[in-house]
Amino acid sequence: MARVIVVTSGKGGVGKTTTSASFASGLALRGFKTAVIDFDVGLRNLDLIMGCERRVVYDLINVVNGEANLHQALIKDKHSENLFVLPASQTRDKDALTEEGVEKVLKDLAEMGYDYIICDSPAGIERGAVMALTFADEALVVTNPEVSSIRDSDRILGILQSKSRRAKDGLEAVKEHLVVTRYSAKRVDEGEMLSYKDVHELLRVPLLGVIPESETVLQASNQGTPVIYTKESEAAEAYQDVVARFLGEERPMRFVDYERPGLLKRLFGGA
Amino acid sequence: MSKPIEFKAGTLTAMTAVVRDLDNVQLAHTLHTMLGGMGEFFAGEATIIDLSQLGKVPSRVDWSGLASLLRRYGLQPVAVKSAPEELEEGAKKAGFAVLNQAAGKTSGDKTVALEEKKKEEPPAQAELLAETASSEAAPAAAAQTMIIDRSVRSGQQIYARGADLVILGGVSNGAEIIADGSIHCYGPLRGRALAGAQGNIAARLLCTNFGPELISIAGVYRTFERGIAEKLAGKPVHAVLRPTVSKTEEEKYALSIEPLQID
Repeated sequence: MARVIVVTSGKGGVGKTTTSASFASGLALRGFKTAVIDFDVGLRNLDLIMGCERRVVYDLINVVNGEANLHQALIKDKHSENLFVLPASQTRDKDALTEEGVEKVLKDLAEMGYDYIICDSPAGIERGAVMALTFADEALVVTNPEVSSIRDSDRILGILQSKSRRAKDGLEAVKEHLVVTRYSAKRVDEGEMLSYKDVHELLRVPLLGVIPESETVLQASNQGTPVIYTKESEAAEAYQDVVARFLGEERPMRFVDYERPGLLKRLFGGA
Repeated sequence: MSKPIEFKAGTLTAMTAVVRDLDNVQLAHTLHTMLGGMGEFFAGEATIIDLSQLGKVPSRVDWSGLASLLRRYGLQPVAVKSAPEELEEGAKKAGFAVLNQAAGKTSGDKTVALEEKKKEEPPAQAELLAETASSEAAPAAAAQTMIIDRSVRSGQQIYARGADLVILGGVSNGAEIIADGSIHCYGPLRGRALAGAQGNIAARLLCTNFGPELISIAGVYRTFERGIAEKLAGKPVHAVLRPTVSKTEEEKYALSIEPLQID
């Protein structure tokens, strides 16, 4: 049975698409047949992050409108046999998404034997975001350690509670996971940033992982390779941890403690 | 893009005009004597015409005449409540909203206002407003308590009508919980909490982790712009209205926020 997972945040620019790409890739690397859908109609980005922008022929709206079938629209990922990308439309707007259309796409994907369907939500709480979360079984709530991002995540959690199909049908609630991104242990240590414990305490959602702020995220995005593939990158390893914890493994939190440079390191520079 | 229409839950303070006789000439005379003929005596308050104490039911009512009479003194009649069945149709035709009927019509008896209100409230009618799915409500038939066994998130509003409200989760910044009775909150209280929303001064607010944006009991409210006292912040707290020595009606009660010993 396919699990539908929405990656959402409320606020823009916090790392939803980066997280969607790496999380989907991580699941595919573990052998799960995974589809990742870009719901950001009109502002599509996921294809860029996944490095498949030149292979986009049909998109989500074409499928919803019946102008193309799923086999035509799904793009096979260049890194993994198990991962397929369904891009958003760049030329349409979010009103083109209908609840029936989205439901049918998800149902068809489930029938095609997908284990996980990742829905990359647009920012905001408007139609696109609501469509992305309506059919979710689980939600990854991506939050930066700052107050406005936390407030927006809280808002989107409320919408999950009220507008998801599970809530409306009175089924078991959508399972929520917190992913704190763009985390700087150094700035937390200096008191400039909220700690992941503060974020967790404010949102009261089980913490799935903390992704450190890292240059490799930007580099990977520019190259069209999800950051999880980057070697020797803290962000990549943190995403590996997220996938592992999602699948039920116990992993200690990494990259959350700042070690102040010792005297020798300060004197002699050091890397 | 802003929508052409939006729905927001809100409470409105309305004036109630208890009308015992629907003879407009009689009413005009009485109002003239009561208000000294001073036009615009009121300041445009929304007004509900309460007919629960109506003496004899007239065969015909001049609703528009009654409305213009009230308007003359600065009232805005919007609804009729507790109207006898035979008058409902006419009131509707005249453009009035017809509000819930009293369970038993109290003709002539001198029940005090509070009891009156109780009768009109359907038992334990608890309802969730705004974005809250109704399936999650757990209104017990007789308990007059609404229990929410999750957190209330930013942008959500919960109203326990005619009931106490128990929140087992937290209340986030930007969320609002309202009860006509008392409020109990077991998670962190960071949003707005309004107990005794219909003016019940005996309502209380109890919480285990105090950090709200605003609290109110029966309209006596407190904001925390300058922060919350250290002995209360994040701690179990009990808020209650206490009588003051002040003689004025508005300052009869003060909101007292006290630490609550729970272990």
